[in-house]
Amino acid sequence: MEDREFERLLKITRLKLTQAEKERIKADVDEIIKHFDSIDSIDTEEKPAYQPIDVPTRLRKDDVIPFSDVEALKKPSKLHNGYILGPKL
Amino acid sequence: MENMTSYIKEFIGREKSRDYYPELISGLAALNKEYHAFNVINDRLEAKNSFPFSTKANICVKGFETNAGSKMLEGYVPPFNATVVEKLLRHGNFSFLGVTNMDEFGFGTFGTHTEVPARNAFDKEYAAGGSSSGAAVATALLKYHVAVAESTGGSIAAPAALNGVVGFTPTYGAVSRYGLIDYANSLDKIGVMARSGEDAKAAFDIIKGRDDYDTTCAIGKINNNRKKKLFVVKELIEKTDPKIRSAFERLLDKFSDDYEVKEISVGILGNSLAPYYIIAMAEASTNLAKYNGYKYGLQYGELNKRYNEFFTEARVNFGTEAKRRIILGTFIRSESVKEKYYTKALMIRRLIIKEMDKVLRDGYIISPTLPIPTPKISDVEKLTPMQNYAMDIFTIPPNLGGFPHITFPYEYLNGMPIGAQLVAEQANDYALLDFVSEWEKGFEYKYKHNLGSI
Repeated sequence: MEDREFERLLKITRLKLTQAEKERIKADVDEIIKHFDSIDSIDTEEKPAYQPIDVPTRLRKDDVIPFSDVEALKKPSKLHNGYILGPKL
Repeated sequence: MENMTSYIKEFIGREKSRDYYPELISGLAALNKEYHAFNVINDRLEAKNSFPFSTKANICVKGFETNAGSKMLEGYVPPFNATVVEKLLRHGNFSFLGVTNMDEFGFGTFGTHTEVPARNAFDKEYAAGGSSSGAAVATALLKYHVAVAESTGGSIAAPAALNGVVGFTPTYGAVSRYGLIDYANSLDKIGVMARSGEDAKAAFDIIKGRDDYDTTCAIGKINNNRKKKLFVVKELIEKTDPKIRSAFERLLDKFSDDYEVKEISVGILGNSLAPYYIIAMAEASTNLAKYNGYKYGLQYGELNKRYNEFFTEARVNFGTEAKRRIILGTFIRSESVKEKYYTKALMIRRLIIKEMDKVLRDGYIISPTLPIPTPKISDVEKLTPMQNYAMDIFTIPPNLGGFPHITFPYEYLNGMPIGAQLVAEQANDYALLDFVSEWEKGFEYKYKHNLGSI
């Protein structure tokens, strides 16, 4: 993998690596992709299997189900006037 | 079947002193300092006549820290129970004992990808196996206990085999995943570890079944179609360490009176590592995108920072293996290579399912669970990621195809247990559990600890 591509991936995954981590992970990634390339030799026309079993579409009735534990969802967050605080956009 | 070993029935049927649970908890706390099987021990365990169960640290339990072995989820206390936990608690005969240790987000075969790794219950110098490391060690330490664990590519089978207990991974979609901290949604399965096939079956019977909260929980009836043939896949067995291979040959000899044992060739199974890791990493990278330092678990706190800066600094807390998989999984899903890797891997998955299904209609696939004897923790640390992934050679095919599989101990090599794995067709889970119950009649389990004996 080219360094430029590796840096692009770090940017979009929002991962900051130390120089030592970069060298180690980049080498691992190259070795693993080389192994992944082995699937080129497998010839198949099968349809992709997104799930290992058939999952029929099941929809629940479009009813309102009350949810009462709103306080629990707020717990780990910092609040301001009832709003959950986050970093600036 | 008669003469089956059920620690659950034995436990519930026996009188226990008033001090039983407090003594169990203090004994476990002391032992846990050596083995690190539990992240959290429930010292509020009620003194009633119910059987202790534990949950892997990626299965949500209301009020108990469930951090999936990751610093990114440190301090996350779920406000709800996973469906499997709810079912066990509602059953009435089970009490929650604690949260067990694991590789970060399930990324590991030996239990070493976490801050404080669990230790093998037979020898602390040796790997516990992963990623459900603590679940297996807990099962091997405690006489009366079942572990609820989870497998993506072998995370129940590998640690169960290395700690000499029964590890059962059900058919994909037989057990609800609601409340599971996902690794790879199309591969994750919640299952059980126990000290007998009968106890694994009893726990499975409670946790299985449809759930309105999980649409992929779509397997209805579970079957018990006994087979009389055992197939050994040539492409897999030839990659096994000679010591394991000769032990496995001895096991096959034992089965040869009751089963037709046959070596077969299923070429595609020799190529299952790459498609599995492609799918697993692609899905993992999307699942891990939501951990950003303020929504779940870790509270990074520097809210005056801009969004990208905040996010990037908080995500430093992922471990190396998680970072590696996020990078690879994101690469695989890139527009320019998606067809080459991700879509192709999904096509190969269908091919593998078809090929395995043909074989499994006629019999079971049997193999060692791991290709090597139990490694020392210090040796695991020397393995490259690819050498590590190659240890999943036997466990990946059934996991990739959603086939139920069970691992059971069959021999002790230099005092360490070794396990064999049996795979059945989808929804034929009971056949596997009964197979192990039959096997146990002529096998003596060995344990170093029997904490909680009555």
